[in-house]
Amino acid sequence: MDNQTQDNTVLSKEDFERFREFFYEKTGILFDESKRYFVDRRIIERMKVTGYDNFKSYFIAIKYDISGKELQNLINALTVNETYFFREEYQFQAMVENMLPEITSRKKPGERVRIFSIPSSTGEEPYSIALYLLEYWKDIDKWDIEIVSADIDTNALEAAKQGVYSSRSVQNLPKPILQKYFTPLKDGYYKITDDLINAIEFKKANIVNSIEMLKFRNFDIVFCRNLLIYFDDLSRKKAAENLYSAMNPGGFICLGHAESMSRISSIFEARRFPKAIVYQKPLEGNV
Amino acid sequence: MGLIKKQEEFKPQEQTEEISFELLIKDLNDEDPQKRLLAARLLGNYKEASIYLVDRLGKETHPAVRESIISSLASIKDEISIKGLIDCLRSDDAKLRNSAVEALSQLPNEVDSCMKELIHDKDRDVRIFAANIAGLMNHPKAIYWLIEIVENDEDVNVCGTALNELAELGIEESKEAILKAKERFKNEPYIQFAADLALKRIDNG
Amino acid sequence: MNVLIVDDSALVRSYHRQILESGGFYVEEAANGLEAYEKALTKNYDLYIVDINMPVLDGYSFVQKLRDTKDLKQSPVIMVSTEQENKDKDMAFRCGANFYIAKPVKPEELLGFCKIISGVN
Repeated sequence: MDNQTQDNTVLSKEDFERFREFFYEKTGILFDESKRYFVDRRIIERMKVTGYDNFKSYFIAIKYDISGKELQNLINALTVNETYFFREEYQFQAMVENMLPEITSRKKPGERVRIFSIPSSTGEEPYSIALYLLEYWKDIDKWDIEIVSADIDTNALEAAKQGVYSSRSVQNLPKPILQKYFTPLKDGYYKITDDLINAIEFKKANIVNSIEMLKFRNFDIVFCRNLLIYFDDLSRKKAAENLYSAMNPGGFICLGHAESMSRISSIFEARRFPKAIVYQKPLEGNV
Repeated sequence: MGLIKKQEEFKPQEQTEEISFELLIKDLNDEDPQKRLLAARLLGNYKEASIYLVDRLGKETHPAVRESIISSLASIKDEISIKGLIDCLRSDDAKLRNSAVEALSQLPNEVDSCMKELIHDKDRDVRIFAANIAGLMNHPKAIYWLIEIVENDEDVNVCGTALNELAELGIEESKEAILKAKERFKNEPYIQFAADLALKRIDNG
Repeated sequence: MNVLIVDDSALVRSYHRQILESGGFYVEEAANGLEAYEKALTKNYDLYIVDINMPVLDGYSFVQKLRDTKDLKQSPVIMVSTEQENKDKDMAFRCGANFYIAKPVKPEELLGFCKIISGVN
């Protein structure tokens, strides 16, 4: 292999490109050149752990391993699982600037706007949605909004209902918002106001289980960010289909910034807004 | 506080209708695509549904419903389902064919017994899809099916498709087959390009 | 001229890229019709070279989407495919392709069509 340093710390350019293509195919995440070092390091680490001394044999192993275990380990190593308030804020901007105006233009006065956030994880996302709406949506007082959030992990749901967060988790929030909605606790932690905790419906759900997902219907906006990348192709498709059924025609769904429906399913329409590309369930007549 | 109300006040959303297999089969053929969609999705949980799903797939025109039927067949993955999916490979409808390829490539153990026949099918399009499926699968045998196609298939596009996949891997065992393909398709620039790339990868390995 | 190559095989995209770059064209790639459509929404391409059989969204559906999208409906499309029969060519033209080339593509053929299109542009 060309371009290898003595101690095997660098993948060749060709290997990196092949790997990048493969990883994109599997997860929808595309690494650009700037992530090169990060990717190299993680792959080398996994190669050490699994005992492969060259990239080619490791690559073949992950490609042809029926269990998909090592691929999953690699995905976990390469994806950043951190959650925090106002993560990928540009989507919330698109929500108030583009999605909500479209959605409300089709609603009659008195009808509700329903938003679904899955996975809720420890609550940062659903609370972020609520905060963003309260602070930045000019029509917040004109419409009733329900926010429902779900996760398969009951510990995470419990934590979400407690509403206690580290200073790291809230660091993206503008100070006025932090002061208005959070109470500082000891050791740099913050507790979100009970009003918000009580405003969000938290439920347990397995996104791949079509029967469980029946409980969730008529959503106008869905946030499903950085979850589907962890699934195999079939499960990912099922999850997308379950979300589709959970939405109103014309409803929008947002994935994580590096994710794309282009590896999952074509049942949604891609829509481009100034701040984000999101996906839309076709309006009535097209199901 | 803004108008964010709790779910409890609006119960209808929470009610899950009673589901019965018979009702779902009925809904699967309903006029309303919304009903067919939901039925197709939920029937993936019932092993006995495969024959009904395959039957519906033959007549279904709505894309989202078709996708759900295919996903459900792939979940059930019994013999009837697999055969139903394989039959889709012969369809005139590109969308249907491609969805079936995707689904089948996720079911390596179930498709295993059929692959040998598929890669020797009379229809060269089916052989192309077989090569696609082998290329997408996580199955150790897939490599040998691909080698067999590259070594022997007389159709340039069938060979080309299998060659694409082998070129990805760059394994020593495929070298002989690739050289034979290069010889067999001396006048095809694409085969020469793909074969040369594959050989380079093997040698660099 | 900006060209988008749409094909699920990385190798085929490489091959077409080589041909087009030799003709002085600037090339980008997409691995299926939906990815291509997302790219088309973000950038103006002067030409699309589209395979038919791809996962998620096939070539015919992608071209139809282009034709249905206000700012993209005039985009030139060359359909490239292993499909051999006349009914497949008919389908290609019906969904809006401008040209159809059978795979495997010969370099002169692809370049020839591209030059015609860039001449028209």
